[in-house]
Amino acid sequence: MKAIIGLGIVSGLLLILPAVRYVLAAGDEPGEYLDRRVEIWGLFYRLMIVAFTIGTVVSGTIVWLVLRFRESNPKAKPTSYEDSGTW
Amino acid sequence: MVLELHKPRPIWQIMFSTHHTDVGLLYLITSLAFMFMGGALALILRLELFAPGTQVIADSMTYNRIFTVHGTTLIFLFILPSASAFGNYLVPIMVRFKDMAYPKLNAIAFWMIPPAGALIWLGFADFTWYAYPTYSVISAPGPAADMWIFGLKILGVSSILGSINFVVTIMKCKHPDLPLSKMPLLAWAYLTSSLITLVAVPTFAAALLMLLTDRLGASGFFNPTMGGDPIAYQHLFWFTFHPEVYILVIPAIGFMYEIFPRFSRKPIFSHGSGVTAFVLLALVGFASWAHHMYATGMSFTEKTVFMVGTLAAVPASAMHTFNFLATMWGGRIKFATPIMWAVGGIALFFSAGAGGVVNSAMPLDFITHDSYWVVGHFHLFVMGTILFGTVAFVYYMFPYVTGRMYNEMWGKIHFILAFIGTVMVFFTQHILGLFGMPRRIYDYPPVPEWVQMNIIITVGAMIIGISMAIFLGNLIYSSAKGKPADMDDPFGLGGKYYFPYQAKTPHTEGGGYH
Amino acid sequence: MSGHSSWPEWVYIGVVVALLCYVGAEAWNIERIIEHVPADAEIIKVTGQQWLWTFEHEDGTKEIGELHVEKGKAYKFEITSKDVIHSFNIHDYVVLLDAVPGRVNTVWFSPTDAGEFPIQCREYCGLIHYNMRATLFVEDKGA
Repeated sequence: MKAIIGLGIVSGLLLILPAVRYVLAAGDEPGEYLDRRVEIWGLFYRLMIVAFTIGTVVSGTIVWLVLRFRESNPKAKPTSYEDSGTW
Repeated sequence: MVLELHKPRPIWQIMFSTHHTDVGLLYLITSLAFMFMGGALALILRLELFAPGTQVIADSMTYNRIFTVHGTTLIFLFILPSASAFGNYLVPIMVRFKDMAYPKLNAIAFWMIPPAGALIWLGFADFTWYAYPTYSVISAPGPAADMWIFGLKILGVSSILGSINFVVTIMKCKHPDLPLSKMPLLAWAYLTSSLITLVAVPTFAAALLMLLTDRLGASGFFNPTMGGDPIAYQHLFWFTFHPEVYILVIPAIGFMYEIFPRFSRKPIFSHGSGVTAFVLLALVGFASWAHHMYATGMSFTEKTVFMVGTLAAVPASAMHTFNFLATMWGGRIKFATPIMWAVGGIALFFSAGAGGVVNSAMPLDFITHDSYWVVGHFHLFVMGTILFGTVAFVYYMFPYVTGRMYNEMWGKIHFILAFIGTVMVFFTQHILGLFGMPRRIYDYPPVPEWVQMNIIITVGAMIIGISMAIFLGNLIYSSAKGKPADMDDPFGLGGKYYFPYQAKTPHTEGGGYH
Repeated sequence: MSGHSSWPEWVYIGVVVALLCYVGAEAWNIERIIEHVPADAEIIKVTGQQWLWTFEHEDGTKEIGELHVEKGKAYKFEITSKDVIHSFNIHDYVVLLDAVPGRVNTVWFSPTDAGEFPIQCREYCGLIHYNMRATLFVEDKGA
């Protein structure tokens, strides 16, 4: 899990470098202007990849927790607080 | 006072009561009534948007009025009063005091809500729940606009009075043997949201007054023809209403702090973490308001500052999510209706937050500002998190309020339909926004993708509507004819209904209050 | 209870903060890039009013409800309003900025595809907000 997130961060950081290179190269001549659409949507897709990666991890964890710790699960055992009846 | 439908108390006794449980019940009934009314308005809007062209609403001004009252009602007349409702029931009990600090002021704060609601509904203004000038100053028709302004003024005062009561009750009236660090997290939720209210709401009160004098022509704060600046209103508005969204969500998170440990049969993973997260959110929540104004022509530096402020609030919310998940881990969870709603609420809370992080990136505002992406995003918070958390707590508190159990099967059906509907509506709205559909529009050109998505969204909205009808039926029927609940352990968990502040109510043996 | 330090939580918060820093850095960088207006951008004055858009080119040509521009050139919009707040939006080119009375907001773009693109209002402005539209015509050079 951590590896996936780490990979996500690293690949994201690697993506900034080309963008920085691009702006240093973008000029003020016709035909060399940067295209807003490309820049902005590109940022959107990169952030979506991060968001969906985290989303998969979090939702997956929730689904696993709900299934594993429901009281009807065959492996379910009482918590240590159930003896005293107070938690 | 609890709800006893078979041998009801005289109505004037409840109306003039200042006891915290009576005031709590009044807040609860009022807020739920407005929830259904505001929700019904949404269904009308969705029917109209089912396809291009006119469906059920004859003209655009009526449509504009409906969405304005929909938003205003659900925020100010449902979410805030429902938080006050449960706060009134439980805060005195949680701090081991006999009532709220100022019982008469408490009742006054409640009684300001019905007249304010009447002003808003009888006026039916059209200028959106933001009321931005210069439209609200020079173009919005009165007297609807002025009635809305007065209604909100009254609600603001009610909010402030209620918050004063919560803060004093918690800080000054709590039992001497109870340190703040051991106070339940739900009480911490009320403390922090009340403190935010006290700092944030007066700014809006000022803005409303300025808007009114501008409308009357007596001033020109926001009118450029008189030397004013419409953007100044937006700063004042969002300085209040960004923290306001935390005022809205913090009690719902507090409700989840009651439900998760209770139904997982173990204590909350980290009480200290919860306290830190609430306090951090309250403080940092003031640093992000102008992310709502990225499109107004702010400078690069200003936008950057507010982006950083917005991102800084995310770790606090992440801490709550971690706390809930870690509480479930290792537990033995009984999936009754309240915790189903709470788990659904956390899953949607996360999606809303993820969308929010994307929103805070300034360049992406050029795609999403004032489009259905924003509508989808904030509804995932107000419906997905806050309404889900509140409904969870309504079911959880049902035995306490009525002495009876609601119908469990219908409660679960309510959850399943509402969750499916919420995902269908609000996730799709994100995509619709990416395709460029603006918000607050009565009709739209027949762009094929817009048409297809609007159909899905309307169907999803109708599913939510059906689920809420089921909820209404369950509430009313079970209040009158539900099985009497075992007041020590209504959910059959093995522990006490709520520990350590188990309270006696007239429904428990021996009757009387704590 | 409070007081115990739980290292999984700290790692989790560390990851969250790292991701947020990444989001912030990326957004800051892209915003910086796109705000750089080319020096030779041709100025077009955009005026919003209830409920239509009017345009004025540098050479004085005025257009109502439609805007003709040339593919490949850079244009800088100077946007204002005559009455209430509107918002000038060419969604296909990701141009969006409020038209505020008493103020001029600027944004630039360079169209790279010829064709017709919708212009819409993106801030509630009253009765016909839903239909406050115009059309952008991007024409090939010399057309």
